[in-house]
Amino acid sequence: MTTRSRGGTGLLNGRSELGVAALLGALAVIVAVDTANIRHTAVNAGVMGPQVVPTIIAIGLALCAIALAISVLRGGHGDPEDGEDIDLSIPAHWPTVFGLAGLILGYALVLDPLGYVIASSILFYGSALLLGSRRYVWALVIGILLSLGTFYGFVLGLGIMLPAGLLTGIL
Amino acid sequence: MDNLSLLMEGFANALTLQNLLFALIGVLLGTAVGVLPGIGPAMTVALLLPLTYALDVTGSLIMFAGIYYGGMYGGSTTSILLNTPGESSSVVTALEGNKMAKAGRGAQALATAAIGSFVAGTIATGALVLVAPFIVSIAISLGAPSYFAMMLFAFIAVSTVLGSSRIRGLSSLFIGLTIGLVGMDPTTGQPRLTFGQPLLSGGVDVVVIAVALFAVGEALWIAAHLRQGKQATIPVGMPWMGKEDWKRSWKPWLRGTVIGFPFGAIPAGGAEIPTFLSYVTEKKLSKHPEEFGHGAIEGVAGPEAANNASAAGTLVPLLTLGLPTTATAAVMIAAFNQYGIHPGPLLFKTEPVLVWTLIASLFIGNTLLLALNLPLAPFWAKLLRIPRPYLYAGILFFATLGAYAAGMQAFNIAILLLIGALGYMARRYGFPVLPIIVGAILGPEMERQLRRSLQISSGDPAALLSEPLPIVLYTVIAVFLILPPLVKAVRRRMRGGDGGGADGDGGAGGDGGAPLDGAIDAAPDAGAPDSGAPDTAAPDAAAPAGPAAAESSRRA
Repeated sequence: MTTRSRGGTGLLNGRSELGVAALLGALAVIVAVDTANIRHTAVNAGVMGPQVVPTIIAIGLALCAIALAISVLRGGHGDPEDGEDIDLSIPAHWPTVFGLAGLILGYALVLDPLGYVIASSILFYGSALLLGSRRYVWALVIGILLSLGTFYGFVLGLGIMLPAGLLTGIL
Repeated sequence: MDNLSLLMEGFANALTLQNLLFALIGVLLGTAVGVLPGIGPAMTVALLLPLTYALDVTGSLIMFAGIYYGGMYGGSTTSILLNTPGESSSVVTALEGNKMAKAGRGAQALATAAIGSFVAGTIATGALVLVAPFIVSIAISLGAPSYFAMMLFAFIAVSTVLGSSRIRGLSSLFIGLTIGLVGMDPTTGQPRLTFGQPLLSGGVDVVVIAVALFAVGEALWIAAHLRQGKQATIPVGMPWMGKEDWKRSWKPWLRGTVIGFPFGAIPAGGAEIPTFLSYVTEKKLSKHPEEFGHGAIEGVAGPEAANNASAAGTLVPLLTLGLPTTATAAVMIAAFNQYGIHPGPLLFKTEPVLVWTLIASLFIGNTLLLALNLPLAPFWAKLLRIPRPYLYAGILFFATLGAYAAGMQAFNIAILLLIGALGYMARRYGFPVLPIIVGAILGPEMERQLRRSLQISSGDPAALLSEPLPIVLYTVIAVFLILPPLVKAVRRRMRGGDGGGADGDGGAGGDGGAPLDGAIDAAPDAGAPDSGAPDTAAPDAAAPAGPAAAESSRRA
């Protein structure tokens, strides 16, 4: 029931969380460097300049990084989140995760040039396929309808202009 | 008396045809989205936020009230009909609710949840009406040092009291504070963490942070571990209750309300502890304790009422002090900020009509919810069968839309992905998400209060203790931080032989966690010194354990 019984956990599990500690450490360095580069102007000379709080946060991050690293090395770990659609008995399927991340990044790049409807249809279609949909036509139809509906709903219903991109003049 | 007339004015405002329509749309959408598997109340509210962009303040807040309660009710429907909820506050509902549904009493479970939510929500909102002006009258006289202390208290509470591991909670908090740093320093205009990117100088939009953490992070995490094959959902008819069900439900509803509201109202809120306490209470008081674990209606009625009452309770610190203590409340702050409204005691003075209209619409939303959800329940149950690829593709679709619409910047979507990855990491390693968003929202505010305190005293840190409230709060914080490790050390020394009764029990199930790690991970809190959960949190961690221990062993 104590640390000992956890020692047997797959070492890989324990080790990968060290990455989180490293991330915390890296954040601490970034915040510290950024804070050091804040210009010291006359305004700063007031009671408490813009450097104080970032410095505290950088120290906090660094302490968390160290404490977490120690805790992980001692065998401590948190429970992965469970849920209705989550099956933790299967290992993470990275192609799906990175595929989805790539889609979102690509979406950010093409949203303005291609326009909302085209970019969003691709996003929905691509995500559905990556997530295992095998109804190739249906998924596309749903994606296009959803995008068109959202576009008109926002532009006509809410008065929020989404970019029309390539389809400017058509929509 | 004065407040009553203000509330009446609020009702008059909220009861216009247009505003009723907004409330209706809010309740319908909130329930529809909230009922979808994998979508908790916080994500519901975050995803539906863009819809309110075009409305005026009053209209959007009214719609929001509907979405808020709708999302909560939707979540409990999911946990009754599908089990294993993602949202920690409905874990307890699932314990008995799902058993009832499996035994063919789903209609009664949904009915007691719906009516109990209504009863609890109405009473608790009534309590809000009574308590809020009182707190405002005190809060209005508090100075910057008190606000600073309260925020610190909220930070410590969300990151170390809730959740199972303090170091992970604090790490989350500091990550959130770092996100909150991004942008121009409000006092001097100096850029911080903007890396020369002008789009960052206004800071990261809170909506983007919320959608990223709750929608993108969750969708990516689920995508990585998507359950294959169809999950058995339980079809259900129109909810109804027999005479016996009513007799067994009404007391748990009231007790749940009494337990839930205060827990929500203190700035260390969260629905996990009150729902669990209510469950235990009902189990103790029940005339049919043998039914617990096999679908006891009291075990649904009490926790559901507690859940809703605590949700109304969280509005007390949110509206009167500007302190969000749950994920949903954090997203609501984002909604307020959009209109340049900053919740806090001043809000009651400067925008009384708005505040009281919002409170009135909570009553209305609650009533609409009951009226709609009883007949619509069979339809909601059908939503559970939506094919998962479409569901999660849809979540990403609307998440990107929300992030884009927040500033009409494609750049926001890149930020969305980055923070979404953070959300994925948090779920993978059991880091709580709540401290991240609370830190990002309250961090800048806290810095402002700190500076203000020191400005007044020309830099003398003693100013932070110049009011009575901070002294009290710092003492409480110190007790929070020092006592649990102390207790643990003593307990460990005393334990020696008997393997630690209570703690061992608490960990054994670890149902919230992975069945996979279940055995190894036994006693997640009792173990290594790092993962110290203060005593107050013990019920939280142990919540699913008692009855679920049996269940998880069966599952395995």
